[in-house]
Amino acid sequence: MSVASYAQVFERCAAAWPAAQRRARRAKLEEFLRLGFPTRKLEDWRYTDLSALAERSFEPARRTAVALQDALLPRSDRLVYVNGELDRNASTADELSALVQTETPGATGVDALNAAFATPGLNLALGPHARLARPLHLILAGAANPQAAMTHQRHRIHLGQAAEAVLLVEFRGAAGGDRLVTQTFDIRLAPGSRLRLYRLQDEAAGSQLISRMDARLARDARIDIVCLDRGCGLARHDLNLELAEPGAEVELAGFYQPAAGAHLDNHTRIVHAAPHGRSRELFKGIVGEKSRAVFNGKIVVSPGAQKTDSEQRVANLLLAPRAEVDAKPELEIYADDVKCAHGATVGQLDETALAYLRSRGIADSDARALLRRAFALEVLDRIAWPALRDRAALLLGYPPPAETALEP
Amino acid sequence: MATQPEDLRELMRRREYRAGFVTAIESETVPPGLSEDVIRLISANKREPQWLLDFRLKAYRRWLTMEEPKWAHVHYPPIDFQAISYFSRPKSLAQRPKSLDEVDPKLLETYQKLGIPLKEQEMLAGVASPVAVDVVFDSVSVATTFKQKLAEAGVIFCPISEAVQEYPELVKKYLGSVVPFGDNFYAALNSAVFTDGSFVYVPKGVRCPMELSTYFRINERNTGQFERTLIIAEDGAYVSYLEGCTAPQRDENQLHAAVVELVALDDAQIKYSTVQNWYPGDEQGRGGIYNFVTKRGDCRGKRSRISWTQVETGSAITWKYPSCILRGDDSVGEFYSVAVTNNRQQADTGTKMIHVGKNTRSTIVSKGISAGYGQQSYRGLVRVLETAENARNHTRCDSLLIGDRCGAHTFPYTEVRNPTARLEHEATTSKIAEDQLYYCRARGISEEEAVSMIVNGFCKEVFKELPMEFAVEAGKLLAVSLEGAVG
Repeated sequence: MSVASYAQVFERCAAAWPAAQRRARRAKLEEFLRLGFPTRKLEDWRYTDLSALAERSFEPARRTAVALQDALLPRSDRLVYVNGELDRNASTADELSALVQTETPGATGVDALNAAFATPGLNLALGPHARLARPLHLILAGAANPQAAMTHQRHRIHLGQAAEAVLLVEFRGAAGGDRLVTQTFDIRLAPGSRLRLYRLQDEAAGSQLISRMDARLARDARIDIVCLDRGCGLARHDLNLELAEPGAEVELAGFYQPAAGAHLDNHTRIVHAAPHGRSRELFKGIVGEKSRAVFNGKIVVSPGAQKTDSEQRVANLLLAPRAEVDAKPELEIYADDVKCAHGATVGQLDETALAYLRSRGIADSDARALLRRAFALEVLDRIAWPALRDRAALLLGYPPPAETALEP
Repeated sequence: MATQPEDLRELMRRREYRAGFVTAIESETVPPGLSEDVIRLISANKREPQWLLDFRLKAYRRWLTMEEPKWAHVHYPPIDFQAISYFSRPKSLAQRPKSLDEVDPKLLETYQKLGIPLKEQEMLAGVASPVAVDVVFDSVSVATTFKQKLAEAGVIFCPISEAVQEYPELVKKYLGSVVPFGDNFYAALNSAVFTDGSFVYVPKGVRCPMELSTYFRINERNTGQFERTLIIAEDGAYVSYLEGCTAPQRDENQLHAAVVELVALDDAQIKYSTVQNWYPGDEQGRGGIYNFVTKRGDCRGKRSRISWTQVETGSAITWKYPSCILRGDDSVGEFYSVAVTNNRQQADTGTKMIHVGKNTRSTIVSKGISAGYGQQSYRGLVRVLETAENARNHTRCDSLLIGDRCGAHTFPYTEVRNPTARLEHEATTSKIAEDQLYYCRARGISEEEAVSMIVNGFCKEVFKELPMEFAVEAGKLLAVSLEGAVG
């Protein structure tokens, strides 16, 4: 495997970095060169093959103009990056931008690559009892570059004791162009703090997006996450949640609907490291023609994490030929006084429900649309931010039903 | 009042392994080590034809290039494959006895002690329906009962080394056709050095008149056992086969690396049951068998059916995934498993269901019980290929945890490439409910009895798949394995 092109790009970029930074980055680059991109031989990368990236060459992406109108949500603050560069005109919270250097635990080659090239990202730190006045919308947009381009960013979100925030992370991309994007998030929630996190992915077909979020929850902290995936050529998300102290709580939901030709891989790992933790996880997917969806969810209950209450469910609708679903819900349990359950299904729209609807005069295509919508809404309805909920529903093809008068 | 954890630990220590004795018998054992010469020696010893020696050598050369699998959720020191002796047989069996009367009485006594009846008359006198038994002692088969009666029905049931001599065409046709010689590290090792095991052939349209069974016994120190079993059910045939196994109580680990191949043709049905009770090691984890086994059934014919039932109570380490390749249209695969890990036992076991044909169905029911410091994993794969229209799978994995030092893990893989497939997987992990225990105790049932009742209820779905006599046996074995372990 040759990853030499990345080293060449690094040398060209290095001059622009301060000396101290350069050393740290070089160490990361060397780590990357040693590890390379993960291969399918690694259990965690069994269904997603990045080895083709090794032979590729990407230039650092440059900012270009990009349309954002459709993304704007009322009554929220914005921090916008285009191809990894801060867009001050579009941002209302540009003071939150900073170069973030954090260590990633259990780093892979991708994490090392990300750290070696990282450009500034969101740096949100809330003090004790602080509360973000308005939801924060982090837009990580990609725009076409003349050559294949890459963007690597690192972000930090630290909430102090009993602090509260609502954050939307949006990955979006304009069509055209070939991009490699890596995004890393370091999230720490102090005791009693609460984060509502939305992750929305609507990248372009030519993009390869690898994102990773590591969150550590202290005593009685709570995180509510809704993840939505639509576009992208290849998207891989790692979401690692550690319930490090007693009483922490996780509410996690996801919905994926890969476009034709897309490969979506959601990896979640929830570690119950302390007693009295609670986690709920629900992922649903609708997988159409020529697309592939991967879900790998792991729940770990560490020794001593008694009274853990954990549930995980993944449901897939596989609706077309030449499509594939790979689901792997895992449990690793080292404590006995726990309640853990998981379930996984792959299937189609319910024939009896379809027959019921048709028998009431609803056309077959409408009946199918209705059932798909009902399937998706179980996740979409968990979005507690109405403007975002409506936009996401529209984006995924489930607009609110038209107000039609019922026949008398 | 529920039993306190201290009492549990005390109770767990009382567990005993009733098959742990050694038979004092003179054996011929080749010196430890593995090389082409050893393989040639084994082959020559068994007077094998050239093609089989070639098969062994091919497997050995492949094995040399392979790496030991490390992905299973088990931990053990590296195995020194040169410290194992690959062939051992009681001296008295250098010439295979023609009838039971010629068998060394010490050997017969061993089986009597283990409760395996070998005398046909005794069997027939009993109330239970007779079972034909093939007994394998270290590397060789001692005796096979009811051969005559089976032959009348056209069923071939004999040690595989005998089949190589008597029915070379059949063996040549099917050996390695389900588990290729280079399938995995342990399958390659087995293909190179396998010694004995059973061969079953049920011709077209024949329903095997009795249960068939093989009993494996490891006796000699520092040996490995490499059994090879091949079962073929022709069109419309039916056979039910059961294997059992035990080994002496020793402080060293011993390796058992078996390969079992099943072939079911059109409308054929094979029911394969295992009651695995290899020595599990002591409470500190000293000794015990490493049970690294490749079992695979090929539903080659239309409407064929293969069913695996396993009760795994023994072995220090288990690495085993009895699988079904559902090639024929409308074929059915089933896997029912109860696995117990107590003390320091580790098990990584499950199944693979590969759906290839149309309208193929599979069912997986796995019940894991983990106690003491036991670590247990269910690892299963359900794969639906593009060709498998209307494939259907239902999987259930339940784990019961007894004590706070053990672990129970679930790693199910689901891979679906056909939009008409319907798959469900569900899994739960919990401990024995306090209210159930309380209910039983309030009605005058002792703690141990109550636990035994609850555990038996937990496993019932699997036990009902076993032939009746063995279900009773399995229930007893479970009681022994968990004796006092629970509360």
